[in-house]
Amino acid sequence: MTKIRLLLVDDEQDFLTAYSRRFIRRNAEVTIASSGQEALERIAETEFDVVILDVMMPDMNGIETLRRIKAVAPDLPVIILTGHADHKTLIDGMDCGAFDFLLKPVGTDELFFKVMDAVKSRSLTRPRRGDE
Amino acid sequence: MRAAIKTFFNFIHRQQDRDTGNREKFLAKSENFRLLLAANNKALETMAEMQEASRSGRVLGIAHVRAQSLKVAAGVRQMIERLCRMAPGKYEELRQVFNDIVQTMDKTLNAHAERPVGPLVLDLDDIHAGSLPETGSKMALLGEVRAKLGVRVPEGFSITASAFHLFMERTRLFDEINRLIQIHGCGTLEELQALEESIRNAIDMAPLPPELEKAMTDACEKMDDPKLAVRSSALCEDTEMASYAGQFLSMLGVKPRRLADAYRAVLASLYSATAMTYTLNRGLREDEMVMAVGCMEMVRAVAGGVIYTRFPMGDNNRRIVINAVRGLPCAVVDGSTQADSFVIDRKTLDVVDKEIAEKSVRYVLGRDGRIGKEKLYGEASVTPAISDEDAVRLAKIAARIEEHFRHPQDIEWAMKRNGQIYILQCRPLAVCKLPASPPPDDDADRLFALLSGCIPASPGAASGYVVKVETDSDMLRFPDGAVLLARTAKPQLSALLPRASALITEYGSAAGHLANVSREFGIPALIGAPGAMERLSGVSIVTVNGTTGTIYLGHREQQIVNAAARNEPRRATDVSQALEGVMQYVSPLSLTDPESPDFRPEMCRSLHDITRFCHEKGVAEMFAMGDRPSGSARRLKTDRHMQYWLVDIGGGTSGSDEDKAIGLEDVRSNPMQALWKGMTAIPWDGPPPACAKGFMSVLTTAAQTPGLAPGAANSMGERNYFIVGRNYCNLQSRFGFHFCTIEGFAGDDPGENYALFQFQGGGADMARRNIRTRMVADILERRGFIVEVREDSLFARLERVSRPAVEQAMAILGYLLMHTRQIDMAMADPEAERRYREKFDTDIAAILADIATEPDTARYLS
Repeated sequence: MTKIRLLLVDDEQDFLTAYSRRFIRRNAEVTIASSGQEALERIAETEFDVVILDVMMPDMNGIETLRRIKAVAPDLPVIILTGHADHKTLIDGMDCGAFDFLLKPVGTDELFFKVMDAVKSRSLTRPRRGDE
Repeated sequence: MRAAIKTFFNFIHRQQDRDTGNREKFLAKSENFRLLLAANNKALETMAEMQEASRSGRVLGIAHVRAQSLKVAAGVRQMIERLCRMAPGKYEELRQVFNDIVQTMDKTLNAHAERPVGPLVLDLDDIHAGSLPETGSKMALLGEVRAKLGVRVPEGFSITASAFHLFMERTRLFDEINRLIQIHGCGTLEELQALEESIRNAIDMAPLPPELEKAMTDACEKMDDPKLAVRSSALCEDTEMASYAGQFLSMLGVKPRRLADAYRAVLASLYSATAMTYTLNRGLREDEMVMAVGCMEMVRAVAGGVIYTRFPMGDNNRRIVINAVRGLPCAVVDGSTQADSFVIDRKTLDVVDKEIAEKSVRYVLGRDGRIGKEKLYGEASVTPAISDEDAVRLAKIAARIEEHFRHPQDIEWAMKRNGQIYILQCRPLAVCKLPASPPPDDDADRLFALLSGCIPASPGAASGYVVKVETDSDMLRFPDGAVLLARTAKPQLSALLPRASALITEYGSAAGHLANVSREFGIPALIGAPGAMERLSGVSIVTVNGTTGTIYLGHREQQIVNAAARNEPRRATDVSQALEGVMQYVSPLSLTDPESPDFRPEMCRSLHDITRFCHEKGVAEMFAMGDRPSGSARRLKTDRHMQYWLVDIGGGTSGSDEDKAIGLEDVRSNPMQALWKGMTAIPWDGPPPACAKGFMSVLTTAAQTPGLAPGAANSMGERNYFIVGRNYCNLQSRFGFHFCTIEGFAGDDPGENYALFQFQGGGADMARRNIRTRMVADILERRGFIVEVREDSLFARLERVSRPAVEQAMAILGYLLMHTRQIDMAMADPEAERRYREKFDTDIAAILADIATEPDTARYLS
């Protein structure tokens, strides 16, 4: 099976470091971005299978970032992962086409299964790559 | 459970023998259906947790309520998304229905505290009882007694609630603190300590708004270079509902240039581990806590202490109790030394009792503003801190203050060398209601008394292992339910009180903070049990009677029974009310009859309704004609009254796909065969014998749930769908009032195998449904399942076991599915419950024995 190409977007460096290590251990190819703008730049350069996106970020928040991601890559699954428990963010995020909405803290297994779900879901609606 | 369901996808993904176009479409639909079911399970599980919390009143913080409510909402939204993908264009309006419900939930949960907009700093001259919303109770009451009673109070000012809001909003600290609370969690003392540190760092880093800094500087300049006592005066503090005694920080001897740092430190103490423990266990909303801060000139005290205008253990209304130490009064409230005690008759003003303690230390204010701790030796330690005349003067002032507020008071005071008395704090005193006549010690128990004559500080009795707490690491290791034993009554120990069964300290007084908090938490406490550390050394279980002041060896049931009768009922808290408020949009189920014309998205009133709708429609879409590579669902040919439908996702059946019906002999799915065996091996006895009470209960439940009225039973009942593969089976079943899912995968790799069972509902009242659910849980636990029960919901799973073990599990589940129908009606009768338990055990043993006789099969779940 080819590696899952994962983009992690969060302004907290500790989070990026911890989770990229955990996902690399699960055989994912991890790219990190510490702002919405940086995430959009990475997406313009590289193809990803799934994005994990924080909400509370300086400059461009997660919902705006999600909107812009969906404008350039409508079928790229985006999982919102936020420490900001807010019902409005849930509604906005899902209305903008997020694949799912999770609250921090989240177990690595739970998050990884969600990533797998997103990848599988996408693979069933578009041509596959590699030997999946 | 999540790990278990994943194999469904892997399984259907492996099927390669279908025509490609339809197969792709079918796989996509199956995957969406799988995600819908997984989200359904998750949402129902969280919903059940919320119901349980709501019922038990055990709720830890508004952040937790908000997170749980969001988790349910996220799961339900996921179901909607999956259903919309299974059938594009058909159910889109569900999103708007969902958004409307969730917005209402959000409004219900939001903090309701009003944001005051007033001056950032208020001079004490301008403060009175009406200033409470700006200054907090502590400063408001001091302003009041100064203005109305002419009582001497140190000069000072309040940094107001408006200042707090300005600071927190300007720096976005509110958002950050909510985020930190959610991320760290509040479940353990370690989590709370980590949270405390993170929040303190965040507050330390936040710059004070310049207008606030200027207002603070201006106020200090009016006071001529003072040394300040900077004290918490939180809006929630010192109220009759919650004293927060000793929970927040006071900083003494603060110079004006250090005021900003002291202000931040006092603010941060709102979120200390001890204060958060108090907040969470009192059911108060952490998002509504507001910290005003009082700044008062320090008094150079030669003596100080605390006055209780009634005895806190409440048996004599005529007594005023004065505790006094030498130096600053902080030694009394933090329990660091014993204090002299004077009892004054309020009518005659006679000193009716006094006890002069050996006072080991005193605190003094140095010229540089620092607080020094001095050891007292010899004569100095045993000389009374105040004279009898001083005690009487104090009693007079205290009586006036009580009269003014018409409520017993807890008053902190200080006396200067020239005899002037200053009031530093006054607050309502919680007086414990003791029984009319305290029960005498049980004669038999008296033989087991280890220590008696200890000072009762909080009534009641409890037993537990004695655990000494001397260091911080002892605090972290403190086990639930133990008796907390400590040398002194430090306020920090209150972080352990919610987990302790009782409290014993050698030193401190019934007037201290820890005693106060013990009473608020209803934990029996003896504060002032000299020699306890030594006497209880090596003792395991003790019973503490906080009413009589006695500690017994071992568990003394009679003491506890006598005390339990006096417990006051639990009060509804802010957090439990918020939870109940949001639950009305989460759990009521009104959409029950899929045949009704009202079974439409716009009729969904709660998230539960939406899950019900999505589940029903998901099943319908999954079994719809046309999209499957193998044609439509087929009816199972049985001699049963009930109808069963079956869809094969690959390899689960033999024979022609074109047939409208399928015989059992053509089912190749091993977990389905096992399940069916369990369902049919032993005939069902029918509903329990008519029992008027049980039947009435069903009617009452039906009346409360219109869709469940008896007339609707036909359209509700008997909808049973099997989804099968070679090694896979999923049964979605509904018998009348009783909903359930059984799923299993039984292949050659134990790592992929699982059986799971989800079960909810019934026709009888919740108590009976709960008894039935617990009975099923017991049976499954004994067979190796991991089971969770919440009210009438049950979630059971068995994972990573061999193929025959899953098959046996499926047989047990099949049996229970059929035979537990309607027995909730009979569950009020313990004898009937016992009979059912016995019958089920015998029947299951027989079914397993039967399976074990099949070739290559041993018994795994006996």
